Amino acid sequence: MKIVKNLVAAYSLKAEFSARRNKLYRIAYSWCHDPALADDLVQETIYKALKNASRLRDIQTIDTWLYRILFNCWQDYLRVKGRNVEFVEMHDDDQADQSENYQQSQIVERVRASIEQLPLPLREVVTLADFAGFSYAQIAEITEVPIGTVMSRLFRARQNLKQQLLDFGSDELSEFKLRRVK
Amino acid sequence: MNTKEITEDKLNLFIDEQLDSDEMNEIRQALLDDKALRERVCQLKAVRELVGYAYSEVPPSRYEVTVQKNTNSFYGRAIAASITLVVGVLVGWSTYQYSPVAGNVISAENTFQYVANHVSVDHAQRKIILHIDSGDLRVVNAALNEADHLLATYREANTPMRLEVVTNKSGINILRPGVSPYIDRIQKLIDDDSVSFYACERSIEKAHKKEGVDIVLMPEVTTNKTAREIIPDRLEKGWVYIKA
Repeated sequence: MKIVKNLVAAYSLKAEFSARRNKLYRIAYSWCHDPALADDLVQETIYKALKNASRLRDIQTIDTWLYRILFNCWQDYLRVKGRNVEFVEMHDDDQADQSENYQQSQIVERVRASIEQLPLPLREVVTLADFAGFSYAQIAEITEVPIGTVMSRLFRARQNLKQQLLDFGSDELSEFKLRRVK
Repeated sequence: MNTKEITEDKLNLFIDEQLDSDEMNEIRQALLDDKALRERVCQLKAVRELVGYAYSEVPPSRYEVTVQKNTNSFYGRAIAASITLVVGVLVGWSTYQYSPVAGNVISAENTFQYVANHVSVDHAQRKIILHIDSGDLRVVNAALNEADHLLATYREANTPMRLEVVTNKSGINILRPGVSPYIDRIQKLIDDDSVSFYACERSIEKAHKKEGVDIVLMPEVTTNKTAREIIPDRLEKGWVYIKA
């Protein structure tokens, strides 16, 4: 009976992980800007999570736990490759040409490029906060830094992005109008 | 509070609601009187929103091709809408070209507050207020098309949403059976549980005085509040505002 229970629990946990795979991939991509590497990081994360599932004491903390594993996988990769590794984003030209909202995709590209220019610790924190929606406390737990460091990194990241996007806003965006429906 | 003393890092904490309630209230109060401060908050919110959408569409994972196909259409449209809103903010803070007619308390004095609220992030539920203050055919048609489009988009994505349509001035006429050509169309919207219609109490009184007859509206329409009460209340709670 215990075996059946454990099997059910394992399948249930696997389903929980799978449901989060897509978002894990997006976050990994936001850090490395390389689809293949993002895939590898997520695969490794899921593998480690399944292997260490017994360490997850509270299912409510599954998100923080999973992202912490992903973050550690990412840090391991950086340690092996060295922090000076340069990531080249794989652009999909066909996708851009076919887009109905080409200008909007240009803005997205610009925002990503601005994020890509951030020092890695700032990039990691700002994407965890503003893309993944984690609280300061959760980010502190995921990245294993004090909450004050999270605050200051987030502040510096947003200041940096604000400056870059303000410059962008005054030129390329000048033809856009506030959305009105008439 | 001297608003010049409010530092950027404090505003950063403010938009993430990481200050204690007293400090949050102090800044909220200061925002009412200080346009420059509202701009600073708006800029930070815009940055946060742009980062939030920057990775909603990414090159597909080799393990998630099927799921990606199913979600792309919604993400595409959601991103398009959101980016357009944010772009409005980016242009807004540098040009102010979109400012509505001065003198209208809702449309002008609180404009930046509205814009700031355009960029509030709510990943769980979309709450949208659609403001119609005109009976112009083109405006009303476009507004109702927008309402249909929003409902269809979020329904398809299985994302919960609330839509409140607030009418005032001549916009209330679209809710008058026997006067409005839109009654059937609006009834369909009202039949959707996620949609509510409001008619400004003050506009109804004014129309009554002007026309000398009772202003009869569709029975489902809420009429006991003014637009000036409803709109700022929703904005304070983080609703997205769309002006028809």
